[in-house]
Amino acid sequence: MRYWIGLAAIGIAAALPIFLDPMGYPIRVLTLAMLFAALGQAWNIVGGLANQISLGHAAFFGLGAYTSTLLLINFGISPWLGMVAGAAVASLAAFLLSFPTMRLSGHYFALATLAFSEVLRVIATSWSEVTGGPVGLSVPFSPDSFVQLQFRSTLPYYYIILAALVLVSVVFLLIRESALGYRLRAVKENVEAAEVIGVDTTRVKIIAAVISAALTAMLGTLYAQFMYFFDPDAVFGIVAISVRAAIVTILGGAGTIAGPIIGAFFIIPVEELANSYLSSRTAGLSQLAFGLALIGIILIEPRGILVLIKEGTARLRKGGKL
Amino acid sequence: MAFLQAVIDGLLIGGVYAVISSGLTLVFGVMGIINFAQAEFLMLGMFVAYFAWQLLGLDPLIGSLISFAVIFCLGVLVQMTLIQRVLRAPPVAQIFATVGLLIVIENAALIAFGSDFRSVSTSYQTSALRVGPIFISVPYLAAFLMSLLSGCALWLFMNKSWYGRAMRATAQDPMAANLMGIDADRMRQIAFGLGVGLTAFGGAVILPYFTVHPTVGQQFVVLMFTVVVLGGLGSVAGAVVGGLTVGVIQSVSTLFFPIQLQNLILFIVFITMLALRPTGLIGAAR
Amino acid sequence: MSAPILEIRNISKRFGGLQALDDVSFDVARGEIVGLIGPNGAGKSTLFNTLVGLHSPTSGSVRLEGEDITGLKPHKVAARGMTKTFQNVALFAETSVLDNVLIGALLRSNVAEARKIAEGCLERVGLVGIANKLAKDLSFPERARVEVARSLATQPKVLLLDEVMAALNRVEMQEIMALIRQLRDDGLTVVVVEHHMHAIMSLCERIIVLNFGRKIAEGSPEDISRNPEVVRAYLGREYA
Repeated sequence: MRYWIGLAAIGIAAALPIFLDPMGYPIRVLTLAMLFAALGQAWNIVGGLANQISLGHAAFFGLGAYTSTLLLINFGISPWLGMVAGAAVASLAAFLLSFPTMRLSGHYFALATLAFSEVLRVIATSWSEVTGGPVGLSVPFSPDSFVQLQFRSTLPYYYIILAALVLVSVVFLLIRESALGYRLRAVKENVEAAEVIGVDTTRVKIIAAVISAALTAMLGTLYAQFMYFFDPDAVFGIVAISVRAAIVTILGGAGTIAGPIIGAFFIIPVEELANSYLSSRTAGLSQLAFGLALIGIILIEPRGILVLIKEGTARLRKGGKL
Repeated sequence: MAFLQAVIDGLLIGGVYAVISSGLTLVFGVMGIINFAQAEFLMLGMFVAYFAWQLLGLDPLIGSLISFAVIFCLGVLVQMTLIQRVLRAPPVAQIFATVGLLIVIENAALIAFGSDFRSVSTSYQTSALRVGPIFISVPYLAAFLMSLLSGCALWLFMNKSWYGRAMRATAQDPMAANLMGIDADRMRQIAFGLGVGLTAFGGAVILPYFTVHPTVGQQFVVLMFTVVVLGGLGSVAGAVVGGLTVGVIQSVSTLFFPIQLQNLILFIVFITMLALRPTGLIGAAR
Repeated sequence: MSAPILEIRNISKRFGGLQALDDVSFDVARGEIVGLIGPNGAGKSTLFNTLVGLHSPTSGSVRLEGEDITGLKPHKVAARGMTKTFQNVALFAETSVLDNVLIGALLRSNVAEARKIAEGCLERVGLVGIANKLAKDLSFPERARVEVARSLATQPKVLLLDEVMAALNRVEMQEIMALIRQLRDDGLTVVVVEHHMHAIMSLCERIIVLNFGRKIAEGSPEDISRNPEVVRAYLGREYA
């Protein structure tokens, strides 16, 4: 039953642009929403399935963006190949980072991942000769080239990013229903018990981290190509990327396939709206609202909208009030 | 000789790092949560001292006391309205409560103060004392001495005053503390206020040689957390050791490595400590 | 009489200042049901944890079927054929009963086969119809059985049961004891930690007694019940 909903959603998403101006603002917002939904889905693999709250996914996102763009600028390599290179770099980083963080969880794990992405951000900001420093990098202009992953209209980006979202979601689903998924669940619930009944918890965590990192890096490349420009704060930023990836998923329901999608399609359009209304007056007002909303939601229901809905409908079904 | 100079400079700045980080470690020690917004209170402390200087003509070293008082009160308020509510929630909620706080404070500051960079000018800003071949920068020294004073004050408070001991009791066993007549909630409020107040104090004290800006907190995030992990989360003595160590490492590494690598070195220290000895050099396991 | 399936030699375990285990040695023969008893804090759970690899012993060795498994991580020990249940029942609470057992079966099979094996294990422990219940919604006797089923799914040769009868009443205990005997008859070797004396006495052919981390007695139930050191350990000097 759920698969039909999924297929219908993809169908709707594929057909939607027919009604939209390909150069307009709405389609841009939708594309961004899908990008962050995919980002959340990649985070979901580690944060949702294994309950390892990572506050450092920006590290992989930024590594992807910088790797592919630097390869493009310096060697003219196509962003599609750059994407693969970026994924490889991020995978290596995740692999190496796994070891010191293996026994960490909760606050400590969040802290370690946060520190990692912050360090990368600082390095990117200060290593001007290589990364362009705080000014950032621009993707060299070559309009309407599939090979160069650059288009004048938003429409091709929309479909490429839709495909990415579907890909990441499929990977999430495959993992969850596979032996790896069961083992991750065991690790999430009780690491000791999992070990004792034969789950190699170290290996399982590493595999999940590497897959999540590779997918995140891929999205970083897509972001760079879509936005044409980025700076260290945009791709390595705690709030811009890491927190957003986590919140989008948690809000919609961590561990579920629909969670990041629901969360992203709620948060991103609202944010964009707030940005256009508020931020023209004072920088930071929309972000402030975001922070306040975050706190508000934490205080009301830390487990996310989906849980609220599920429990709400369950209560309705049992007959009577919400 | 350059090495000795670097070590001295490192110790001086390390003293301040110690004070800044002791606030973070105190909050963890008493409440078991990592306050991801801690660096934002540093920024607020800097602003309070800045305005004290600009509007009242007070030297930041005096202003730092005002910073402490103001941010202490703010901290108590935050604890009562937000932190208290998530103490029994799963780590996910706790983490994002303080992350949300980070976002709110930073952007509120951006709106209230604008994004200009500001700095104070004091009479002694560029002076330095000469001790043999070593130069000791006066603002560094002043900051260090203030940190030393506040460190002693903190020690006296934690060990000799009733409140301090009650706080430590609450940290170790809240239920037992309650049974002894200690209001654990009140203790936690004071602890949080104290924690962010100390960090704010540290920020004010370094105002003479720092520019203040709503995003200045970001510069201290990795640093603060490195100090605290090095010294052991929850141990104030550890924050002192960690602060001095980080100060020296940072200062000495400027001699050998470009600035980009310095941060990497700091991070390697941080992650190694977290992996091998999460309880830190001094800290007690929690 | 073939070689012992489990050889425990001079196992010591130190935690900082506390000597939790001190030079413990004994063998377990294939197909035995051995009891491990001792007052609270004697080191029984610590010994189990050391045997399966949750702790590394400070010194000493453990051999399973002749192979040295000292210091191996728990999942490797499970792969070699030894696993344990937990004193406070460590089921995956938000997971279904079937999935709990399935995860154990994943050690040696793929997901599809693991599901069948899991169903078989649930049957073997006498649980029917609760496959889809969440583990946190189970009653105490059900939980104990599911833990046993999960361990069985890993196809162990040696099963360590840590106070599996803790929260059970008389009738439930009898049922679990019958299950344990059945498992032994099917070829399993079992080591049981239990506080219910009569259960241990009637279930086990041989009993090891620990006190303060040391082995103070080893023998048949009759020998143990008459051993003055054992009586002293449990009841104090006056009763010896």
